Order: sequence, then C-alpha cells, then structure tokens
Amino acid sequence: MTQNPHHTDYSNIPEAILAFGQLARFNGLNVGVQETIDALEAAKLGVIGEKKAFRFALKSIFCASKEDIEVFDKIYDWFWGYKKGGLKSKTTYKNRSNLQKKSVASVVMMGKGESKDEGEESKNVSGANRIARLRKTDFSKIEEIDSEFLEELAIKLWQQMSLRLKRKMKFSTNKGRLDLRRTIRSSISHGGEPIELKRKKRAPRKQRLIVLLDVSGSMDKYSFFLLRFICALRTHFESIEAFIFSTHLIRITDYLHAKNLVLTLAVLSAKADNWSSGTKIGECFKDFNERFAKQVLNGQSTTIVLSDGLDTGKPEVLETELKKIKLRTRRLIWLNPLKGMKGYEPIQKGMSAALPNVDVFRSAHNLDSILQLEELLLSV
Amino acid sequence: MILPKDIEQIINGFDQLNYVLDKELATILFLLLKLEKPLLLEGNPGVGKTEIANVLAAMLDTELIRLQCYEGLDVSTAVYEWNYQKQLLSIKIQEASEKSDVEKEEHIFGEEFLLKRPLLKAITAPKAPVLLIDEIDRADEEFEAFLLELLSAFQISIPEMGTIKAVHRPYVILTSNRTRELSDALKRRCLYHWVNYPDLEKEIKIIEKHLPDIEPQLAMQLVNAVQKLRLQKLDKTPGIAETLDWARGLLALGYKELSVEAITQSLGCVLKSANDIEVVKAAVMSGEF
Repeated sequence: MTQNPHHTDYSNIPEAILAFGQLARFNGLNVGVQETIDALEAAKLGVIGEKKAFRFALKSIFCASKEDIEVFDKIYDWFWGYKKGGLKSKTTYKNRSNLQKKSVASVVMMGKGESKDEGEESKNVSGANRIARLRKTDFSKIEEIDSEFLEELAIKLWQQMSLRLKRKMKFSTNKGRLDLRRTIRSSISHGGEPIELKRKKRAPRKQRLIVLLDVSGSMDKYSFFLLRFICALRTHFESIEAFIFSTHLIRITDYLHAKNLVLTLAVLSAKADNWSSGTKIGECFKDFNERFAKQVLNGQSTTIVLSDGLDTGKPEVLETELKKIKLRTRRLIWLNPLKGMKGYEPIQKGMSAALPNVDVFRSAHNLDSILQLEELLLSV
Repeated sequence: MILPKDIEQIINGFDQLNYVLDKELATILFLLLKLEKPLLLEGNPGVGKTEIANVLAAMLDTELIRLQCYEGLDVSTAVYEWNYQKQLLSIKIQEASEKSDVEKEEHIFGEEFLLKRPLLKAITAPKAPVLLIDEIDRADEEFEAFLLELLSAFQISIPEMGTIKAVHRPYVILTSNRTRELSDALKRRCLYHWVNYPDLEKEIKIIEKHLPDIEPQLAMQLVNAVQKLRLQKLDKTPGIAETLDWARGLLALGYKELSVEAITQSLGCVLKSANDIEVVKAAVMSGEF
C-alpha cells in the first residue's frame, strides 16, 4: 500500500464515511456494519456541520478503548486532514498479523532451536522411568532431546492440576443458604407450609492470581517453562493477571487470552526485546505499583513472583516496593528456581531484602516443585 | 421531557447545573440522546464520570436510576426479587378461600409481590430515565453477559410473569475504572469516551462555578498546585472532588492565598494517603514544590 485513501477521493460524504470505516477496520479498530450505520446516522443528525463535533462523534462510535483512540486520531488525520504523503510507519496492529505468519516452531522454542532428530534416542528409555526422571530434573539441565517431551508432559500435568483446583473450589461449599424463591414455590402444593426446604449454593468465589515473571538473563533457562506454566494456569483461572519483567515491566495478560499458545509465545518473545538482559527487580516492582497495583490487586488476591532474586538495582527499593505489594495482596509467594540447588542460601542482597515480606518461599526448578504448588493455590 | 436540539443546548444545560462540559463530551451526549445507544465512560477515579449521569438526569428532568456493581452482583439484586414475606402471608390468608391452586399461584406472582431492582425499574419507568451502571468492571463476566442482552433488546423476562418490554428506552451510561478489560461485545454496543483530568483552564472554571466567592488568585494557585500534584507519582491522585474540597477547606480556614502554612495545614483535604502527605509536605517545606 503506497497511498492512503483520502476523503477528497470520494464524491460525497456518505461514501467517504464508508471508506473511512473500512480504513478504520483495516487498522484494527472494531468497526462493523452497525458502527458504520451509526456514523452515517450521526452525520445525518447534523454533527457534520462542524469539523470538531464530527471528529468527536466518529471517535465515540469507532473506539472502544483508550488505545483505540490513539489509532483513531492518526487515521482520522490522514483521511480527513489535508492531503499529504503516504504513511510513515505501519500501525502496530499490522505488526500483529505479521507475527502470526512468523509464529513457526523455531520462534516458539525461543533460542532452543536446532532440535536434533530425537526419535531414535528416546526409544532407549522406557516411558515410566523417563517421566519420573524428567519430573525431577532441573529445567536448566534438561537436554535438547528431552525438552520437547518435557514440555508436553508439563502442559498435561499443569492442566490436570488447575482442573483439580477448579473442581475443589466448586464443591467446597456443600450446603448453602436457603433459597426462599424456590421454597415458596414448592410450598404452594403443601398449603403454604414450607416443608421442602430448597437451598442455594454459594457461587464459588473467583480467586484472583497475579503473576510476575522474571525473564532476565539469569532466568533464561527457566522463564521459558515458567511462562508455559502461567499459560496453563490461565486456562483454568478466570481471573489472572500476568507481567514479565527484567529491565522494565510488561503486562502480558491480554496475550494469555489467546487460544493459540504458539502465537502467544511468539508475540511475547517479540514484545520482550529485553528478554534475557540484566534485572532491575526493584525498579520493575515500582513501575508495577505505580501503574497497575491499584487496579489489579484487590486485597484478596494472591501474588506469585517467579524470580531468582539476582537484582542489579538497590535492595532498598526492592524492599519498599515489595512491602507495598504485600499491603495490597492476601498472600505473596516467591518462587525461586535457585532454591532447588544444593547448598543454596538466600543471601544475595536482593533476595535477603525481599524475604521479610514474602509469605511463602519455594523453589520452582523442576516439574515436581511446580506441581507441589497445588496445595498452596488450593488454600487461597 | 424536552430533548436538547443541538450540542450548544447541552453545554448550556450542563452549565446551568454547575457542570463545565467540553465540546467533545457534549457531542457524545448529543449522540447518546439521539441514537439511543449506551455510553461507556472510562477514566481515572475522580474525574467526574458518575456526576455526568447525575447532571444529565437533572437536565432532562428525569429520574436517575443507579446500579452500583460489585463482585458477585446477581440478578436478584440487579433486576428483581419476589417479596417472600408478603407471599408467605398471602398464602396463609388465602388458605380458607375457595380459590383453586392455580389461581392462588397466579395471585402471589402478581405485580404487587414484585420488588423492582434498578434494571427492571429503569425499563418500566413511565418516563425515560437515565440509567447509571456504575463501575461495571467490578461485576462478574456473567453479569456482563446478562447486561448485553438487556442493552440490545431492552426487555427482561421473568419466568412467573412473562416478558416485560421497555416502555421508554432508558438513557444508559456505564462507567468503568478499567480494573479489567470489558468484553468486546459489550463495548461494541456502546459509544465510548475516555474522561481525562480537566486542564488548568477548565478546572479553574469548575472551581469558580462551585465556589463563586473564591478569590481568583487563590483559585489559580490552588488549581496549579493540584495539577502539579497529578504529575507526581502518588498513591492516590487527587480528583476534581478533592480540588473542590481543598478550595472549601482553604476558604473555611480564611486563607486568601496559598502559602506554605496554608498548604501544610490543609493537605488532608486533597491527599488521602499518609505516605503522600509526608512526601508532599517535605517537598513544600524544602521549597521544591
């Protein structure tokens, strides 16, 4: 596309509005037939008489979020403004579709690539033994040939786990309040005596889970699996908010909603240009507190931090920011893959500054250690 | 009810009710009234989202029906509920009567036993009301789905009574603080507007509207200070209500201009967190602020 459509290309206003609707749709705004009809209707009402009002009207009809407004402002200026040259850069929405094409297996493995032909070798190990071994193997020590198998196994087990969690929540309240509505209805046939008591179960309370995942260099080997773990949780926890951080913080909740895990991971790796670089945990948490904490933490939520605690920033910052998170959350769980190493003591500055505010400190270096989280999440 | 004929009339109407309305929002409210589409307002807390509905209802001289959403909000608190006590009594009273069971049942599921909650009330109101669904993001997704149905058909079905259709379509305003993303389907049914904090000029106008006695200089200094505070990273960013509170506080204390003493004495009006007050106080004392 070299030239953008411009309103002067069209002979009358309705046609131009139609074309603008198409342009908006092309740029990722959610504009359907109904929106276009509304826009035409608005034009008919006379708001078109004044430039500004027309813009405001179209904006309210075509946009559905603050982010949409940015896109809208851009394309509105192209289309209804003075005729100028073509686009300078394509919008972010277009990049999304590019990513879709790119999301081939090599990206998914995130640098783990070059997988050897594993078929032959894996036959040598018997199934049960292999599973038992893999469940205990540290993620960082997993060989290429095993990684794919482990991935499958992990997804299966984690999904079972979150399904179990869901079931437990459903059946935990067995009796419940009286349901007067149904009781009265059935009492009519007994002459108004409420003999049959009908009961109403309390709907299971949805728990909110907030996950902060460290994707810095030192976590490289683990973050890949831990991200998969978050995705598995996502399929069964209705309300989960996820963030990744290293030098800065990115909210990834929206990407977890995607059905296609392959695409999700591809988008994430593209988004995290800082994937696997130094860590500023304190700074990132500060950012989290300023931008998201008020919205996503509601006092009843559980917060999980997945990080090795190797912080290049000031430990005092980490301590105060973590305290703030702790104040807004019901339970703070810190999972540290290094804890699985023999002889590990949380003595680095970052980790020791963090510990006083952490409720639960666990390891997350292999499959088994993550599966053990089940009882923790159950008691939320 | 007289609907405003153009955007200017809406601005004037709001102006008379002490609400300073900008052109953009006025245009959207005009569309809300004409297209009869719901309006979704998003924005930071304290920018006056709820107030818009209040003033709109006052301007149209109609009832404001408000539904405050929260986690676990269900149909019996949002739409309708039967008056069980009354039903039980009625069954007892009717025991001796000759009526058949069917008639008895029909009687206790009549309109007089129905408790109308906000949504049903809005649909059955004799004059198109303004329906404010506040903080929709706090309700569950199930409720959002229910709302979707209501907002497209404007009818509610009650199994014991049948379907109730809207006599007059209510003017619906939804507000959200963005604690979670709303579903695309709901957003598509609505007009959308992001409410920002007012700029300096607008905020001074707002203060002068509400407090005509205030010294222009004090208003200027005050709004300047609040705007500065909003740029800081505070635990709780002050909204318009806080600005007004602060102005009232300063007037009550008899200050004519914003001195260091005035600020330190009245900071509690505008900042609502101990941490924030401490930080700002320190900045004021050292003359940085």
